[in-house]
Amino acid sequence: MSAVMQAPAPMAAVGETAAKTPFLRMDNVARHFGSLKAVDGVTFEMRAGEMRAVIGPNGAGKTTFFNLISGLLPPTAGQVIFEGESITQQTIVHRVAKGIVRTFQITEILPDLSVFENIRVGVETAEKLNSKPWISRSERERVNQRVTELMDIVHLRNKANRTVGELAHGDQRVVEVAVALSLKPRLLLLDEPTAGMGDTETDHMVDLVRRLHQEQGMSILFIEHDMDIVFGIAQHITVLDQGRVLADGTPEAVSNDPKVRAAYLGSIE
Amino acid sequence: MELLLFNAFNGLIQGVFYALMALGLALILSLNSVINMAHGGFLVIGAYLAYTLTPYLGFWGALIAGPILAGGIGLIVERILIRPVYKRVDPIYSLLLTFGLALIIEDLTRTIWGPQGLPLEVPDVINSPVSDVYFFITGYRLFVIGITAAAAIGLYLLLRYTLLGIRIRAGTRDLETTAALGVNIYKLRAFNFAFGCIFAGLAGVLAAGVLGLTPPMGNSLIMPSFVAIIIGGVGSLFGAVLGGLIIGLAAGLVTTYYPAASEAVIYLMMLIVLVVRPRGLFGEEGLFE
Amino acid sequence: MTRIVGIAVMWLALLALPWWLPLIGGYTALGSKVLIYAIATMGLNLVLGFTGGLSFGQAAYFGLGAYGAGMTLKYLAPSTPLAIVIGTVVGGLAATVLGPLVMRRRGIYFAMITIAIGQLFYFVMVRWNEVTGGEDGLAGFARQDIHLGLLNVPISSSGTAFYYLVLLCFTVAVAVMWTVLQSPLGHTWVAIRENRRRMEFLGIRVERYVWAAFAIAGTITAFAGTLNAMLFNFASPQDLHWILSGNFVIMIVLGGMRSFFGPLIGVIIFVVAQDYLSSVTDNWMTFIGLIFVCIVLLFPRGVLGIFRRAEAV
Repeated sequence: MSAVMQAPAPMAAVGETAAKTPFLRMDNVARHFGSLKAVDGVTFEMRAGEMRAVIGPNGAGKTTFFNLISGLLPPTAGQVIFEGESITQQTIVHRVAKGIVRTFQITEILPDLSVFENIRVGVETAEKLNSKPWISRSERERVNQRVTELMDIVHLRNKANRTVGELAHGDQRVVEVAVALSLKPRLLLLDEPTAGMGDTETDHMVDLVRRLHQEQGMSILFIEHDMDIVFGIAQHITVLDQGRVLADGTPEAVSNDPKVRAAYLGSIE
Repeated sequence: MELLLFNAFNGLIQGVFYALMALGLALILSLNSVINMAHGGFLVIGAYLAYTLTPYLGFWGALIAGPILAGGIGLIVERILIRPVYKRVDPIYSLLLTFGLALIIEDLTRTIWGPQGLPLEVPDVINSPVSDVYFFITGYRLFVIGITAAAAIGLYLLLRYTLLGIRIRAGTRDLETTAALGVNIYKLRAFNFAFGCIFAGLAGVLAAGVLGLTPPMGNSLIMPSFVAIIIGGVGSLFGAVLGGLIIGLAAGLVTTYYPAASEAVIYLMMLIVLVVRPRGLFGEEGLFE
Repeated sequence: MTRIVGIAVMWLALLALPWWLPLIGGYTALGSKVLIYAIATMGLNLVLGFTGGLSFGQAAYFGLGAYGAGMTLKYLAPSTPLAIVIGTVVGGLAATVLGPLVMRRRGIYFAMITIAIGQLFYFVMVRWNEVTGGEDGLAGFARQDIHLGLLNVPISSSGTAFYYLVLLCFTVAVAVMWTVLQSPLGHTWVAIRENRRRMEFLGIRVERYVWAAFAIAGTITAFAGTLNAMLFNFASPQDLHWILSGNFVIMIVLGGMRSFFGPLIGVIIFVVAQDYLSSVTDNWMTFIGLIFVCIVLLFPRGVLGIFRRAEAV
């Protein structure tokens, strides 16, 4: 049984069932930089177990949007609510502890270490073992087992001892996903997962993301520019434009929305 | 009281040497991103070459030639030894390199000129006491202050108003962008390093007039210069100068009451600054952090 | 597999050292010195190579250990174990107390502060004439035999017996360091070296870990210092000098700073070279300086680094 599966969401209030509590909700969230309104009154809701894409032209505010969810920036206005709890003022570290893990924002690999060692750092951090100068044999076994599990999920077991710094870009990114998984995320934020990748590497990453959603039941929110990928795997699409939500719905609804077509998709169709 | 003034003044002079050294060190630290452990070596080079050239050029000629030669050797060192390690990510390599250079310079100096102390001939015209009461305020010491002030002001004017100076300042802020703008950063770094060495050489010649010459003199002046930079704040040339003066003065004052602690007090002051105001007096926040 | 064989061979060689080293022109005390420096540098390497902190003032803790042990034997009690403990604690305490000043810095700034701290201790010890003997160093003490019940270990008279004490200490220190480096703490240190920012994002209080590494390294180096004082029955200002600090670092780089036993290899080469050079020429300091320069320019990964996976320099 995979340990990556997320536990059911907690009860938010008496009388509300877990299914009704929105997993992630942004209430009229805004983020201004002086007079620049990077995110301008976004209301957004996501359900647990969803595979959702965030798209939009350059400068639409997608990265700032992610920053508000991951905790890199506090909003200028509005609230961010995760599993019924307001996390608006919480730092990245707190949000990671709550299960919001973002990957591909900064370089995350430890280049001189092997794939195994990279993932092990994530596992040890998740298990809060970092400060221990000694652990028992059984604990060590447990850690190693978990690392192997994660390598299996991302299909990197055959490269376990390879130095990550020497791997191809696509594999390095897969390692980053594995490390993110080791932190037991409840919500995975993927920031342009296929950026800089060739065709084969892109296929691998898309396959991985799909499997994470379908086999592990992971809730995934991802930014992507490649429309083939977006329409290939997303259950739900949010379109941002100039800091606002332009459209929000199923792939068919979004692709048929005239506003979206006008702003963005027209050239792709 | 007279003893206090005596020590304070001597401390100030010492502080002037520290300031001069710190200024050169700080220059090299900001642009070349190198801790020049061999800086004391360039001080020694300047001093000993001045000593050797004095019979031919006189004091004034040696005063000019010593630092310039130190700068010239600095150029060579930068080209051959330092340039290959700029691209190394880990600063340990430049540290070890200059460290080794410091050992070599000290030893070669000892071999060429001998381990005993040597005097530097200072013209009588500037060496006489200026006041009957305060006999220790010799003309030479005032001269040292004057030259150092002139050098510092000269550097300030260079950095402020010349193209080279502006480029150096730009490079200190953002080397990549400066290079992208078409500036030849290789030449820039070479000149900057040479300037730093010129200052070290100047400190050497001036110090030799007060303290005489010994092979380890450079290495004993370099450590307080580090402290001067830490106290003054990394990234600030003015801070480096002020830091040097402050610690010199403090050491001088402490000598009056508790001579054994006169060096240790310098490092104690550094600790205090690190606890109370970690970025130093004029340092920029977040540097190297 | 080759690794285990290599380590076994190494240990056998160390055990038999008093027998074979004199045969090739060495002497047992040289072996003691090598092991002592190896303990000191392997401790330093916890910070330098494994956590990535440029600690360039480690001699301070070595010297504190040496003086601590010497002063214990001279003024306190004629007990070798006590001297070792006190010296180690003094050095370790200094590193622990000063750690917070150092732990927040990175790169060159870290180095500068460690250098300056080293100088502080140098001047305190060198000028404190009445207690430490000042520039002449601390003499007038000698290591004492160790009495374990009925057994008397004659280290005061026998250099060979003392060597085996040092070897025992080396083994203990190595075991401790190896264990820590294989633990999550050790893994975290390396992760900090590789990508500090990433670890901060993961919620790791990186400063604390750097502090721990610095404190532990200082303690181990001080431990080596105590043995050094007892090897020569003398503690000298040179034990605190910045040149020794630099020598420690070059020994580590020479052997390979990313390898566990790198420092040991570096120490062997350096100590032997220095011993030979100083007997052959007055300009040994120039040659040592040249060693520094050549290693940096030509062999930055060190001896063992050649065998490891390629890493960016």
